Amino acid sequence: MIRLFMLIISVALLAACGSPPPRLPQALEQAQTTDKNARRALRMGDLAHARTLFAQSLKQHQSVDDVDGAASALISLATVSHQLQDDEAAIKLLDRILLDQPDVYPLEWRITAAFRKAVILADMGRGDEAVSVLATADQQCERNCALRSGIDVLKARLALLKGDADAALELAQPVASTREAGKEEQANALRIVAAAEEKLTQHDAALLHYRAVLELDKSLGLSKRIEADLNGIARVLTHLGRAGEAASHARRAALVHEAAGRNAPAATSSGP
Amino acid sequence: MTLLADKDKRFKNLVGKTAVFLFLAVLGIALIFLLAGVKKGLFTATSSVYFVADSGQDLSEGMPVKLSGFKVGTVRSLALDEAGRVQVEAGIGQKYFALLKENAVARLKKGGIIGGDVTLEIDRGSEGKKALVAGGTIGFERVRGLEEVSIEVRDRLLPTLDELHRILHDPEGDVRQTLKNLREFSVEMRSTGKRLDGLLEHADSTMTDEVSPMLRSLNQTTMHAENVALQLDRSLPVLLRKADGTLDNLKQTSATIRGAVEQSAPQLPGLLEDTHDIVEGVSTSWPLKNMMPPPESGPIKMDSHD
Repeated sequence: MIRLFMLIISVALLAACGSPPPRLPQALEQAQTTDKNARRALRMGDLAHARTLFAQSLKQHQSVDDVDGAASALISLATVSHQLQDDEAAIKLLDRILLDQPDVYPLEWRITAAFRKAVILADMGRGDEAVSVLATADQQCERNCALRSGIDVLKARLALLKGDADAALELAQPVASTREAGKEEQANALRIVAAAEEKLTQHDAALLHYRAVLELDKSLGLSKRIEADLNGIARVLTHLGRAGEAASHARRAALVHEAAGRNAPAATSSGP
Repeated sequence: MTLLADKDKRFKNLVGKTAVFLFLAVLGIALIFLLAGVKKGLFTATSSVYFVADSGQDLSEGMPVKLSGFKVGTVRSLALDEAGRVQVEAGIGQKYFALLKENAVARLKKGGIIGGDVTLEIDRGSEGKKALVAGGTIGFERVRGLEEVSIEVRDRLLPTLDELHRILHDPEGDVRQTLKNLREFSVEMRSTGKRLDGLLEHADSTMTDEVSPMLRSLNQTTMHAENVALQLDRSLPVLLRKADGTLDNLKQTSATIRGAVEQSAPQLPGLLEDTHDIVEGVSTSWPLKNMMPPPESGPIKMDSHD
């Protein structure tokens, strides 16, 4: 009986070895809670609420001069604004980091802000401005910088948008074969490789790469990109004279488009 | 060593005893982890099934998935797709796949009057269908909780009761007019009865055999109708008073419930905050903190094609 009691005590003592981390000051804790709630709202798809909460989190971080927290909230707020199609507001928010005194926000936040601004400008079709903003991020980002792959892929994407398929291929190929780039950027790079090859009429290689990126995008569960991949395969198959297979892939793309609930008709003629 | 040797019998084989004690302690801890793992289903072979929800409200990672009230799996992941819907992956024990059909539906149910437990229950599907395969897709439905149903019933019932109350008390309404008509009818029937009595007394003796029973029957019917009218005349006011009382009681009950909810509402945020603190504290303590997903930090994700 005594041994059993001692055993229980030993287990209880071992369990007590771990204690919760000490609590942060109330203001910081509140800011972190707001940030967490904003991320939860984003996961639930409530973008408007997420934007409100990120704005609140930004104020809370700024009120205690938490530069890292404020920069993170600013960038998140800009990203959510972009998802809500409010691109002008998103750019203004990112400019608050980029146009401030260089010593206010650390370099990594400036690189992140520049990269995201370039992505938004590219989406808006302002390619030249995107190239200029991306060049800033490119200069500041060292080889081992976390955004290296993203910057290279975006450079390739901008080159392709300008019609320079050779340059796009050259920039995207190294990222497409690097595991360290992460699944998302690897898939983006592969899609650019496939689209560039399609443009250079290397249809067999393009088909191979579109199929590879389709598998990657399926594992990521990104329906818009799956639709783009299927449409790419359909276009290449049409060029290869395999009309039946092309129609089947175009039908799959239309089904994905319809099931994803997007209103505009499925685009079959454009690349990434 | 001999100098330090103790004569006390209790200290004999002290090293062995200590080793046994420590061995038992380690064994106990290992058993606890093993039991926790078995309870958590870590040693159960599972496969994924997928479904799409309109929103992620009340859904969370790690939420148990039940079949006929028994836990058969957990929600593994939730992800927001491009269309703003929620892609849900649930891990289900492989042995349960034989019980599920391809048209199985996951239903999110909410119990209790206010809030209550939320459960994800799988409806196994139609018997004639093929068995569900690993990696398959099932339907999803959100079942309304008692709270929503009771609010809807209240919203529908109160206007109906008000309308009933108005109808019963309207002096020009159908009910009051019907009562008035019945009263007049009973008076007319009384005079008709008297006339029939006279007619029966003066009826031809040859007609008596056939007409008299008929007339008597009619007379009885008239009398019966008169009685019914009188009874109605007496009973309806009582019924109306009772209906009035019931309506008053319902209104009082509704007001009491509203008061109780309003009184308890201010306490809810504090209660929720305390609960949040407790959960936060437990989830950041060993060993639970190792089982929790790492907290997200930094800005939300965005890649070169977003």
